[in-house]
Amino acid sequence: MGPADGGMRGDRVSRTRFVAVLAAAGVLTACSSAGGDDYGLSDYSLVRVQRVQVGDGSMTVAPVRPWNRHHAVMFEDIRDVEDWTLNGPLLDGMSFVTGLRNGKSLIRQRRTTSQQVPIFRSNMTPPEIAAMLESLYRVRGGAVDFRTLSIQPRPFLGTTGFQFDYEHLDGDELWRRGRAVGAVVNGELYLVLLDAAKLHYYEMTLPDFEAVVTSAQLKAIRS
Amino acid sequence: MCRHCLEVSRRSLLIGSGAAAASLATGVAEARVLPRDMVPLVGPGYRPTERDEMGLWKEMDRVEEEIAGSNLLIADDKITGYLRDLIGTVGGPAAKDFRIYLARIPEFNAMMFPTGFAVVFSGLLLRMRNEAQLAGVIAHESGHFLRRHMIRSWRDERRKTDILSFAAMAAGVGGAGVGVYLGDYVQLAQLGTILSLFQYSRAMEAEADSMGAKLIAETGYPPVEMANIWEQLIGEENASARYRGKHRRRGSIFDTHPSEGSRMVDLRTDAAEITVPGKAYDNHRARYLATIAPIRPMLLDDQVKLNDPGASQYLIETLAQDGWDGLLRFYEGEIWRLRNRPGDDVRADQSYAASVAYPDAPADAWRWHGISLMKAGRTGEAKAALARYLKMKPDAPDAAWVRQTVG
Repeated sequence: MGPADGGMRGDRVSRTRFVAVLAAAGVLTACSSAGGDDYGLSDYSLVRVQRVQVGDGSMTVAPVRPWNRHHAVMFEDIRDVEDWTLNGPLLDGMSFVTGLRNGKSLIRQRRTTSQQVPIFRSNMTPPEIAAMLESLYRVRGGAVDFRTLSIQPRPFLGTTGFQFDYEHLDGDELWRRGRAVGAVVNGELYLVLLDAAKLHYYEMTLPDFEAVVTSAQLKAIRS
Repeated sequence: MCRHCLEVSRRSLLIGSGAAAASLATGVAEARVLPRDMVPLVGPGYRPTERDEMGLWKEMDRVEEEIAGSNLLIADDKITGYLRDLIGTVGGPAAKDFRIYLARIPEFNAMMFPTGFAVVFSGLLLRMRNEAQLAGVIAHESGHFLRRHMIRSWRDERRKTDILSFAAMAAGVGGAGVGVYLGDYVQLAQLGTILSLFQYSRAMEAEADSMGAKLIAETGYPPVEMANIWEQLIGEENASARYRGKHRRRGSIFDTHPSEGSRMVDLRTDAAEITVPGKAYDNHRARYLATIAPIRPMLLDDQVKLNDPGASQYLIETLAQDGWDGLLRFYEGEIWRLRNRPGDDVRADQSYAASVAYPDAPADAWRWHGISLMKAGRTGEAKAALARYLKMKPDAPDAAWVRQTVG
């Protein structure tokens, strides 16, 4: 046995925010060491208080105050995901998954990576989607403790969806809390997710999240 | 370890191979470190007296303070007390001076710091099949301290270069605003880099192995368990890598350890040498399993949800060599469910079905068994399974969803 091994986990990501995980996935394809600068290939743009398209453009939402869109570039598999933050991705973030297809995963990952984020299947039930999100946090976020607070039915996008509440303790010793509201429409996953520091930031951004979820609409059902 | 260590280890490996080749030519094997030669170099209550070591201790005290206050530690009095008793038993002359912390990190690792505190990762507890194996790892780590490996390698390293200084080290470890977050992989990588200054040579690892074997044998554990640990560990790493279609990754903690083959041979030879015929040895499997029972579901959960099917399957099958139960069958099902390849739903349900046939099947086995049945269109059976789940876990977090689903 020996000292902790950084190199051994070079494909791991240090930050635990969903946003950061997504951003880092791109960085890591070019850099095999676990670096701290997870946001190197990203930039921010303003999200105005108006109805806006998110993700691949198939869903629109209406935020009640301005947020910051966090551009994650260089992805092929996850063009369907979009991330916002209010106070910076370590403190809070809202993510949108739009039309994730059967057999795809939420983030891009190498085939040879030992620990993998599970792939989405069209016939997944809400507990299975919740488990997929849990593994995302554990595998790519380094969450050491993850607690499911509730999984309950909730209408979303005019169909029977679900709400998943959870909290997790991350490697930076911070507890974060999250809520995901989603539904599978025509076999594709649509999801809005809030994940923020349990202390203060979650409660502060929850009304924004709820307004966004309530306002969410599909532009057109894709065939 | 870090890139730097890797290079060093490769170099030592080359030197090692060269030496082995030379010995083969003369028909003499490379000398094994003999357990009987492993005399502790520190006694009880050891404190450093030389300036460099005193400085090192001062920095390490700050590291320990941070680690001791981390919320990633598992604060279960029974289990931490058990670990303390264990290191107090197999820790040799320094047994009563050691401190030991249990961190919730699902990896096979344990480390000894230069001042005599050890950190054990929860993933280690999952992988040990009995108390003797856990004692073996702890004794091995103790061996590093008892043989003063950290300060010896630190001095050795410093002779090679003046670039590294305590100042630089302190900046990395305990500097203002740079917390040592155990479990944060970047932070750990930094810590790993610092600790790599205390990297152990193959000779030191061999010493720790021999010392460990000697320490556990003296306290009545079968010394052969030392060899079994490494066999399990390497088996798991190989299984994980093979599964993803690659070779076992270099740069793992084992690279600075003696080469696998020779290590196995040495550990088995050590065991044979120090086993006293007629003496009763006990691996205390029952006591071990009883102690970790309350956290075993959590340990399995933390591992399996990493979705590393090769490693998890190897691990569960290894643990099941001591007998299958409802818990292990359930997590076997979880491996397939998370892998989610075509046909895995059927495999998963077979495991869930097997799990619920055991009296110790966890509530979640009924839950996933029910969900699997539901997806297969077996509604009646699904409802019965989910009802059983809710009966076992009335306040289940997904109770609302389950109730709506079963109607």
